[in-house]
Amino acid sequence: MSRIKHYETMFILKPTLTEEETKAQIDLVKATIEKNGGEISSCDDMGTRQLAYEIQKNKRGYYFVIYFKCTTEGILEIERNYRINENIMRFIFIKYESKKEVAAWTKMSEEAAKKAN
Amino acid sequence: MAERRKYGKKYCKYTEMKIDFIDYKNTDLLKLSMSERGKIMPRRLTGNSKNAQEMVEKAIKRARHMALVPYIVNTQNVTDAAYVK
Repeated sequence: MSRIKHYETMFILKPTLTEEETKAQIDLVKATIEKNGGEISSCDDMGTRQLAYEIQKNKRGYYFVIYFKCTTEGILEIERNYRINENIMRFIFIKYESKKEVAAWTKMSEEAAKKAN
Repeated sequence: MAERRKYGKKYCKYTEMKIDFIDYKNTDLLKLSMSERGKIMPRRLTGNSKNAQEMVEKAIKRARHMALVPYIVNTQNVTDAAYVK
Protein backbone atom coordinates (compact mmCIF):
# COMPACT_ATOMS: atom_id res chain seq x y z
CA MET A 1 0.00 0.00 0.00
CA SER A 2 1.42 3.29 -0.90
CA ARG A 3 0.12 6.62 0.11
CA ILE A 4 -0.82 9.45 -2.19
CA LYS A 5 1.73 12.23 -2.12
CA HIS A 6 2.04 15.73 -3.50
CA TYR A 7 4.30 16.12 -6.48
CA GLU A 8 5.40 18.71 -8.96
CA THR A 9 6.92 17.99 -12.33
CA MET A 10 8.62 20.31 -14.79
CA PHE A 11 9.84 19.38 -18.25
CA ILE A 12 11.50 21.15 -21.15
CA LEU A 13 10.29 20.40 -24.65
CA LYS A 14 12.38 20.88 -27.76
CA PRO A 15 12.01 24.34 -29.34
CA THR A 16 11.94 22.84 -32.84
CA LEU A 17 8.39 21.50 -32.38
CA THR A 18 5.45 23.32 -33.92
CA GLU A 19 2.67 24.77 -31.77
CA GLU A 20 0.34 21.83 -32.40
CA GLU A 21 3.07 19.33 -31.63
CA THR A 22 3.90 20.94 -28.27
CA LYS A 23 0.22 20.92 -27.40
CA ALA A 24 -0.01 17.27 -28.34
CA GLN A 25 3.05 16.47 -26.20
CA ILE A 26 1.61 18.27 -23.17
CA ASP A 27 -1.69 16.43 -23.57
CA LEU A 28 0.22 13.15 -23.84
CA VAL A 29 2.06 13.82 -20.57
CA LYS A 30 -1.19 14.78 -18.84
CA ALA A 31 -2.82 11.60 -20.13
CA THR A 32 0.03 9.42 -18.82
CA ILE A 33 -0.23 11.06 -15.38
CA GLU A 34 -3.96 10.46 -15.24
CA LYS A 35 -3.60 6.91 -16.53
CA ASN A 36 -1.20 6.05 -13.72
CA GLY A 37 -3.51 7.15 -10.94
CA GLY A 38 -2.40 10.75 -10.79
CA GLU A 39 -4.71 13.64 -10.06
CA ILE A 40 -3.72 16.92 -11.75
CA SER A 41 -4.55 19.96 -9.67
CA SER A 42 -3.12 22.71 -11.85
CA CYS A 43 -0.68 23.50 -14.66
CA ASP A 44 1.68 26.37 -15.29
CA ASP A 45 2.64 27.17 -18.87
CA MET A 46 5.90 29.08 -18.80
CA GLY A 47 6.31 29.17 -22.58
CA THR A 48 9.54 29.33 -24.56
CA ARG A 49 12.51 30.61 -22.60
CA GLN A 50 16.20 31.10 -23.06
CA LEU A 51 18.16 28.25 -21.45
CA ALA A 52 21.01 29.07 -19.06
CA TYR A 53 23.22 26.68 -21.02
CA GLU A 54 22.84 24.62 -24.18
CA ILE A 55 21.04 21.29 -23.95
CA GLN A 56 21.41 18.99 -26.95
CA LYS A 57 22.62 22.03 -28.92
CA ASN A 58 19.39 23.93 -28.26
CA LYS A 59 19.54 27.43 -26.85
CA ARG A 60 15.83 27.74 -26.08
CA GLY A 61 13.21 25.45 -24.65
CA TYR A 62 9.50 25.21 -23.87
CA TYR A 63 8.90 24.95 -20.11
CA PHE A 64 5.81 23.37 -18.60
CA VAL A 65 4.95 22.69 -14.94
CA ILE A 66 2.28 20.33 -13.58
CA TYR A 67 1.19 20.09 -9.94
CA PHE A 68 -0.39 16.74 -9.13
CA LYS A 69 -1.05 14.04 -6.53
CA CYS A 70 0.06 10.51 -7.19
CA THR A 71 1.24 7.25 -5.68
CA THR A 72 4.89 6.17 -5.65
CA GLU A 73 4.38 3.42 -8.23
CA GLY A 74 2.67 5.87 -10.55
CA ILE A 75 5.69 8.16 -10.45
CA LEU A 76 8.02 5.38 -11.58
CA GLU A 77 5.79 4.64 -14.55
CA ILE A 78 5.50 8.33 -15.50
CA GLU A 79 9.27 8.72 -15.29
CA ARG A 80 9.78 5.72 -17.56
CA ASN A 81 7.46 7.34 -20.12
CA TYR A 82 9.42 10.59 -19.88
CA ARG A 83 12.65 8.78 -20.65
CA ILE A 84 11.20 7.13 -23.76
CA ASN A 85 9.89 10.44 -25.10
CA GLU A 86 12.46 12.03 -27.41
CA ASN A 87 10.86 15.47 -27.38
CA ILE A 88 11.50 15.98 -23.66
CA MET A 89 15.00 17.37 -23.16
CA ARG A 90 14.99 17.61 -19.37
CA PHE A 91 12.58 16.79 -16.57
CA ILE A 92 12.38 16.92 -12.80
CA PHE A 93 10.06 15.47 -10.16
CA ILE A 94 9.79 17.15 -6.79
CA LYS A 95 8.08 15.57 -3.80
CA TYR A 96 6.43 17.82 -1.22
CA GLU A 97 6.14 15.88 2.00
CA SER A 98 6.41 17.89 5.21
CA LYS A 99 3.62 20.14 6.41
CA LYS A 100 5.50 23.29 5.41
CA GLU A 101 6.25 21.95 1.94
CA VAL A 102 2.66 20.87 1.34
CA ALA A 103 1.51 24.36 2.30
CA ALA A 104 3.94 25.81 -0.25
CA TRP A 105 2.65 23.31 -2.82
CA THR A 106 -1.01 24.30 -2.34
CA LYS A 107 -0.08 27.98 -2.54
CA MET A 108 1.90 27.52 -5.74
CA SER A 109 -0.73 25.36 -7.42
CA GLU A 110 -3.46 27.86 -6.55
CA GLU A 111 -1.37 30.66 -8.01
CA ALA A 112 -0.83 28.63 -11.18
CA ALA A 113 -4.55 27.95 -11.46
CA LYS A 114 -5.28 31.66 -11.06
CA LYS A 115 -2.73 32.52 -13.74
CA ALA A 116 -4.25 30.02 -16.18
CA ASN A 117 -7.74 31.54 -15.92
CA MET B 1 43.77 44.73 17.85
CA ALA B 2 41.83 43.76 14.80
CA GLU B 3 40.81 46.49 12.42
CA ARG B 4 37.22 47.56 12.79
CA ARG B 5 34.87 46.44 10.05
CA LYS B 6 33.65 49.21 7.80
CA TYR B 7 30.42 47.59 6.64
CA GLY B 8 27.14 47.00 8.41
CA LYS B 9 26.11 43.87 10.21
CA LYS B 10 25.19 40.88 8.06
CA TYR B 11 21.66 39.54 8.34
CA CYS B 12 19.63 36.83 6.67
CA LYS B 13 17.65 38.35 3.81
CA TYR B 14 15.26 35.41 3.67
CA THR B 15 14.31 35.61 7.33
CA GLU B 16 13.85 39.36 6.91
CA MET B 17 11.38 38.72 4.05
CA LYS B 18 9.63 35.99 6.11
CA ILE B 19 10.05 33.33 3.44
CA ASP B 20 9.49 29.80 4.73
CA PHE B 21 9.89 27.92 1.48
CA ILE B 22 12.22 28.77 -1.41
CA ASP B 23 10.94 27.68 -4.80
CA TYR B 24 13.50 26.76 -7.45
CA LYS B 25 11.46 28.51 -10.16
CA ASN B 26 11.79 31.89 -8.44
CA THR B 27 15.23 32.81 -9.78
CA ASP B 28 15.17 36.34 -8.31
CA LEU B 29 15.26 34.88 -4.81
CA LEU B 30 18.06 32.48 -5.70
CA LYS B 31 20.24 35.23 -7.13
CA LEU B 32 20.57 36.81 -3.69
CA SER B 33 22.82 33.92 -2.69
CA MET B 34 24.75 33.53 -5.93
CA SER B 35 27.98 35.13 -7.09
CA GLU B 36 28.25 36.83 -10.48
CA ARG B 37 29.78 33.67 -11.83
CA GLY B 38 26.85 31.56 -10.72
CA LYS B 39 28.47 30.01 -7.65
CA ILE B 40 26.59 29.44 -4.40
CA MET B 41 27.84 31.99 -1.87
CA PRO B 42 28.90 30.67 1.53
CA ARG B 43 27.00 31.54 4.66
CA ARG B 44 29.96 33.42 6.08
CA LEU B 45 29.71 35.94 3.23
CA THR B 46 25.95 36.31 2.85
CA GLY B 47 24.90 35.96 6.47
CA ASN B 48 22.04 33.58 5.61
CA SER B 49 20.52 31.57 8.40
CA LYS B 50 21.30 27.84 8.44
CA ASN B 51 17.74 26.97 7.56
CA ALA B 52 17.60 29.42 4.64
CA GLN B 53 21.01 28.35 3.34
CA GLU B 54 19.95 24.72 3.20
CA MET B 55 16.78 25.58 1.31
CA VAL B 56 18.51 27.90 -1.12
CA GLU B 57 21.25 25.35 -1.83
CA LYS B 58 18.70 22.73 -2.78
CA ALA B 59 16.71 25.18 -4.86
CA ILE B 60 19.78 26.40 -6.78
CA LYS B 61 20.82 22.84 -7.56
CA ARG B 62 17.35 22.08 -8.90
CA ALA B 63 17.27 25.27 -10.95
CA ARG B 64 20.69 24.45 -12.41
CA HIS B 65 19.46 21.05 -13.53
CA MET B 66 16.48 22.66 -15.28
CA ALA B 67 18.69 25.29 -17.00
CA LEU B 68 16.97 28.17 -15.21
CA VAL B 69 20.28 29.23 -13.67
CA PRO B 70 23.75 28.53 -15.11
CA TYR B 71 26.21 26.07 -13.55
CA ILE B 72 29.06 28.46 -14.29
CA VAL B 73 29.36 31.70 -16.24
CA ASN B 74 32.62 31.68 -18.15
CA THR B 75 34.19 34.64 -19.92
CA GLN B 76 33.36 33.15 -23.31
CA ASN B 77 29.65 33.19 -22.55
CA VAL B 78 29.79 36.71 -21.16
CA THR B 79 31.34 38.12 -24.31
CA ASP B 80 28.92 36.11 -26.45
CA ALA B 81 25.91 37.60 -24.67
CA ALA B 82 27.30 41.12 -25.07
CA TYR B 83 27.85 40.42 -28.73
CA VAL B 84 24.24 39.39 -29.34
CA LYS B 85 22.89 42.61 -27.87
